[in-house]
Amino acid sequence: MNSSLKIFIGLEIHIHLKTESKMFCPCSAHYGDEPNTNICPICLGYPGTLPLLNERAIEHGYLVARALGCRLSNRISFARKNYFYPDMPKNYQISQHNHPVGIGGTIEVDFNDLGAKRIRIHNVHLEEDAGKMIHANDATLLDYNRAGYPLLEIVTEPDLSRGEEAELFLRDFQRLVRYLKVSDGNMEEGSMKCDANISINLPGRGLGTKVELKNMNSPRFVRLALGYEIERQSKLFNSGGEIVQETRLWNENRDITLPMRRKETPDDYRYFPEPDMPSFVSNAAFLKRIENQLVELPLAKKRRLQSEYDLKVEQAEFIHNDIAMVTLFEDTVKSGASARNVAAWLSSDVRKLLNRDKRTLADTPLNASRFSSLLTLVDQGRISGKIAKNVLKDIFSEDADPESIVEKKGWFQISDPNELGKIVDQVVSQNPDVIEIISGGDSKQKSWLMGEIMRVSNGKAAPELAKKILDERIG
Amino acid sequence: MPPVKQLWFSALNKPHVRDKYVQRVREIDKKIGSFLSFKLEEQDWTALGRKPLGGVPVAVKDNIAVRGRKLTCGSRILENFVAPYTATAIRRLENAGALVVGKTNMDEFGMGSSNEHSALGRTSNPWDLQRVPGGSSGGSAAAVAAGLVPLAVGSDTGGSVRQPANFCGIYGFKPTYGSISRYGLTAYASSLEVIGLFAVDIRLLETAFETMHAEDEFDQSSFSTNISGSEVKKIAMLDIDPGMLETPVAEAYTQAAQILRERGYVVEKVNLVTLKFVIPSYYTIANAEASANLARFDGIRYGSGSGYSQNPINLIKEARSRGFGDEVKLRILLGTYVLRSGFKDQYYIKAQRVRTLIRKELGVLLRNYPLLLMPVFPTQAFLRADSEMDNYKQRLSDIFTCLANLAGLPALSVPIGINRGLPTGVQFVAPAFGEKSLFDIARGFSEVFPVQFPPGALEIERMR
Repeated sequence: MNSSLKIFIGLEIHIHLKTESKMFCPCSAHYGDEPNTNICPICLGYPGTLPLLNERAIEHGYLVARALGCRLSNRISFARKNYFYPDMPKNYQISQHNHPVGIGGTIEVDFNDLGAKRIRIHNVHLEEDAGKMIHANDATLLDYNRAGYPLLEIVTEPDLSRGEEAELFLRDFQRLVRYLKVSDGNMEEGSMKCDANISINLPGRGLGTKVELKNMNSPRFVRLALGYEIERQSKLFNSGGEIVQETRLWNENRDITLPMRRKETPDDYRYFPEPDMPSFVSNAAFLKRIENQLVELPLAKKRRLQSEYDLKVEQAEFIHNDIAMVTLFEDTVKSGASARNVAAWLSSDVRKLLNRDKRTLADTPLNASRFSSLLTLVDQGRISGKIAKNVLKDIFSEDADPESIVEKKGWFQISDPNELGKIVDQVVSQNPDVIEIISGGDSKQKSWLMGEIMRVSNGKAAPELAKKILDERIG
Repeated sequence: MPPVKQLWFSALNKPHVRDKYVQRVREIDKKIGSFLSFKLEEQDWTALGRKPLGGVPVAVKDNIAVRGRKLTCGSRILENFVAPYTATAIRRLENAGALVVGKTNMDEFGMGSSNEHSALGRTSNPWDLQRVPGGSSGGSAAAVAAGLVPLAVGSDTGGSVRQPANFCGIYGFKPTYGSISRYGLTAYASSLEVIGLFAVDIRLLETAFETMHAEDEFDQSSFSTNISGSEVKKIAMLDIDPGMLETPVAEAYTQAAQILRERGYVVEKVNLVTLKFVIPSYYTIANAEASANLARFDGIRYGSGSGYSQNPINLIKEARSRGFGDEVKLRILLGTYVLRSGFKDQYYIKAQRVRTLIRKELGVLLRNYPLLLMPVFPTQAFLRADSEMDNYKQRLSDIFTCLANLAGLPALSVPIGINRGLPTGVQFVAPAFGEKSLFDIARGFSEVFPVQFPPGALEIERMR
């Protein structure tokens, strides 16, 4: 790559908003139902039907725009975006054009080693989704469940300059929409999509020829596709070749981009105001509701976790990735546990279990009260750290409280000197040869005896006490 | 309850009269061709007697949805399309006891002023079978004028109710934009069109309007604003170059003013400087909206196509090429053109600006005069395939009716007797939600010029 070239990357991100009903009709916006079960005359575009505005979707839109620091429009209106597509019932999409929810924001993103950077947001606007085509043999089937599903499109300015930045931006944006509870933001499952625009040019010459990239189904693919394009375009540019304005598709099997269609002229969507819907005008009460739903954003959260609780970067990074994890962390700390201890548990043992089960924290039976009572059991010496790991596993698999798990399994530490003395005596009497070696001066064998004591006691022997008793017995 | 309602109820309440009625409608309509479908369904006649419109048969323009009935919009492309739901306005009429007996012929998707642009049948003017009934709601107008029904529903985008009412000698009413829900009205030009009414009697018309007027949760552009009317003393009369109007039309126009003066109104001539921009503004906006509204008829979900093609674009092309008539294709092309980037500013955006000016000028005028008197159309009903009245001239002639649509105002066309064998009339325009003034003035006229029926019309009062 020629480092003297300037690279401009802008993203167009679509998220499915988590609303009960669709954007313009009362149909359920539930995902993954049987094809063509969540449909009605309105979302099917029957002649004579009219769109009905979903105020919840507007609220979600304003909330994201607000979080991205956009100028919020006092009055928003909708427009028709005209183009023919077989899965679009009306052959126009109701979108926003002149009066979107928000314009001109910025958001600070931490690109780790590359430093933090402010990325400008061009606009945030609402629109409806289309249906889905399913190709089967020589026929094409249509599922309209998705038609009319509320979408929010976020368009950034071309402020990113590397594939890595785009990936990190997307991951941060996913956290943001999850923090705000407006979307699942899941690219693999389709609740979030991202197209990228990229152009390269000599420094000081402004933007180059724009190439649009589509079909990237994860933040990682966005990074890979952009990386590929930067290579491809730089080579072309440096060898005096022509970069064509076109749309290219990421091919995830071959790790390359391939041209989809040439854009001789930019698409002409013939936007005009949607005559079937009045403008939406926000008022003070509405804006207050938006403010009330605003939360601490991911980057601020991460920085606060580091400064307020003195966490390591990787721990803060891991915990802030999931808002449920943040809540669990802060609630557990609030109940008296040590922050670094909680963070260590979360970023090692809890994380391992989540990865093993491919679950997110919110889907598990672990909560702050269980977590803090588990840590208390360890602190009080009633169970060992090793047993605690097993208890955690059982919380995950049995959905039970730590106390009752330990009780049921008989996992409390043996800290009664008499009881423990018997176990030590048993181990000593069973291993006269080892005792002889120790007497001969090789005290290293003591730890082997300790291991035996732990084995015989099923790991429940209180280690300090056991060691003390063993010392007494063998002098 | 309007006496006309009682008349129809007491006739059709008798089963044998009902049979006769249906038979007579079929006989007459063989010549007129107003209905695309006709069926009087079984009813609980005891219950109907108590309802405000109980037993009144109603014809509905075939671009308005009635559950279980076809919704062809007069187009080949929707020839076999059946509506799965009922328009709110029709449901309200039915709840009040009105009986939808049939769907009426129309210019394809409402695009035309003569009904000659229907792909599905020919409708004649009951006063002269060689002449057109007007359009686009020509079928509904003809059905009422021939006495087949006392009340009919149409839609008025640029005069599509008032002009055929004028051609057929009956009342034609375009309400304030938003006063009647558009849910169930197949869209042609969404920002201009409203569901309107035809009637033989002004009280029946008023009752039907009161029934239909409501805010509808399925139409966010609908309002339940109270209908009012002010005490009318002064009436504005549009000053028109006499050369613009055919003689019988000019005579009716003068006569209407004279009657008003005799009745003590002050009638003052006024000019509208924006009048000459009405047609270009109207057609630019209407076609632009139509180009989007009709995009859904693509042979995939709506419209008959071959169902098989190598690629979707061919499928769509074929269905639209075969399914739409020439006038519809022309308007879609023009509408697409005026929205293209690079052209939008000089056409669509400019037309919207002009529309605002027209609205403002009319607004100012109607603050000084509670009613505006205008002709409906420059001619009386013209001959079918009239070379004098080509498509282009028909569009220019919409000038007096389009005005109310651009401004969203209520207007009523009122019959002023028969001249040279054909009906004449005038129209009044009122401020938004000022429909009462329209009905009041029309009631006055009805004493002098009651609705007349052509020879051979169905006479319900004589059916026993």
